[in-house]
Amino acid sequence: MSSFDTPHRIFLFEMVNGKKKAGYGPSPGEAYERLGLRLTTMEMAQVRPDKFERVSQREFRKHIHELG
Amino acid sequence: MGVFPTKRLWLDLGDFGVFAHGGAQDLWQDHGLGVLRTIMHQAGVPTDIASTRAMRWWWQVRRAVRGYDQLFMNVRSYTFPFAYRAAKIFKEENPKGLVLVGGMHATVALDELEAVPEIDYICQSAGENVVVPLALNPESFPRIIKGISSKTLGEWPMMDRTLWPNPQRRDFPWPLEPSCGWGPPPVATVLTSRVCPWQCVFCSESSYIPNMGRKPVDQVIDELNYLDDHYGPLGSVVIYDSMFFQQPRWLEEWLEKYPKRAHKVWPYWAGGRTDTVRQWPDLFEALVRETNWDTVSLGFESGSTRVLNILNKETTAEDNDFSIDLVNELGDKMEAEGKKAPVFWANIMLGIPGETREDAFATIRMLRKMKRVLPSIAYYAPYPGSILGHQLIAEGRSNMTKDNYHRYAHDRKVKGIDYDFYDGLLKGKFDRGINAGSSKELEARLVKA
Repeated sequence: MSSFDTPHRIFLFEMVNGKKKAGYGPSPGEAYERLGLRLTTMEMAQVRPDKFERVSQREFRKHIHELG
Repeated sequence: MGVFPTKRLWLDLGDFGVFAHGGAQDLWQDHGLGVLRTIMHQAGVPTDIASTRAMRWWWQVRRAVRGYDQLFMNVRSYTFPFAYRAAKIFKEENPKGLVLVGGMHATVALDELEAVPEIDYICQSAGENVVVPLALNPESFPRIIKGISSKTLGEWPMMDRTLWPNPQRRDFPWPLEPSCGWGPPPVATVLTSRVCPWQCVFCSESSYIPNMGRKPVDQVIDELNYLDDHYGPLGSVVIYDSMFFQQPRWLEEWLEKYPKRAHKVWPYWAGGRTDTVRQWPDLFEALVRETNWDTVSLGFESGSTRVLNILNKETTAEDNDFSIDLVNELGDKMEAEGKKAPVFWANIMLGIPGETREDAFATIRMLRKMKRVLPSIAYYAPYPGSILGHQLIAEGRSNMTKDNYHRYAHDRKVKGIDYDFYDGLLKGKFDRGINAGSSKELEARLVKA
């Protein structure tokens, strides 16, 4: 599971309030699951697992103002 | 009537008084300042130097900046409070003078610098190709400047370390540096590479620093030999790279040439990741043994894979255990051979959002498996620039403000974290839950991170 076997990607998940939540992992599904490691069930309910875009680390700065 | 030359001042930033009374990490010199001043001086654009670290009061800053036309500052997040106050004082003293800033904070938190009206020019990203024309013709630039970095570190001139501030201490071997406990003094700090390409979300440095080629091995060795000849004899080396143990071809060349070409195989501190150690264990062992890599800084961060996933470290607790076993065994063998064993500089974070008590116990257990270790423990801090930092700021969970970006390891920087638990953990209150023994030493090892 190191970076050599399964490189990770960054995903921006849409939230029901129109903001976005940054998640990361080898796949969108795992990135969503990993958000649940630090967010409450109620907070996770605000995140839409099926609506996301993949962004590169380099491009992430363009999306800072969208986070919530 | 003669034309008066422009008077330029570089202000080195840091906590007041630390040159006289600070800890080892407070005495580190600023490579950004050193390289940029070198470039300016070689281009015939001289600057004077002053340091807040050599002062104790703001009136001393006022006196230092008085009479200058231009003020240059390399601003990091943790020095931003000093930078904006110094900018205001400079303008009060020199209303027609210009304040020109760059550095990491200009890149990761531009809005905070833009909000300071006393700052006239802000250079984002790399300053090496813009600092001279900016100093000579500032009016030809917009307020916000996007710097363009060199393609490789090999294009940078060799830094003139006499352009660093001189702390004027008997135990400070300026222009070399004192020991901070990693190796014997005098110490030469060098960079061979810039920017770690991994995506750990507590750092994310490749999101704001452009990739640059690595400095050629021969150039690194030539610089060390030069420093040894002119200011030495050198005692040890610190390779400041965010990620030294990467790019095996470069490392193999270092392995071949450093023991042969350097005046001495000086012991050195350098950093890596546990998954790269696991990926290239033979190369790692050869570097430790043959190039005297005797203080091995690894970003363990946590003993829990769950927390490593929260941090997007892309390593596992198994990767960490592999590296610990390897270095423990290697150290035993080297001691049996009468050689000095390598020591870990173990980077550890606690107080990470989502971390459970059991995760924290796993981290302390991991730390205790290391036979020879200098623990570097800090509570997680959501710095702007990092992906997790920006996310937590957006969620309203950060306690950091522009007035407290400092790097104090015990600071309570995230809302909702049970810091009393962590203070207790480091005091040994939960040792029964971890295993026997006292954690007093760990508490004492909280360092600026």
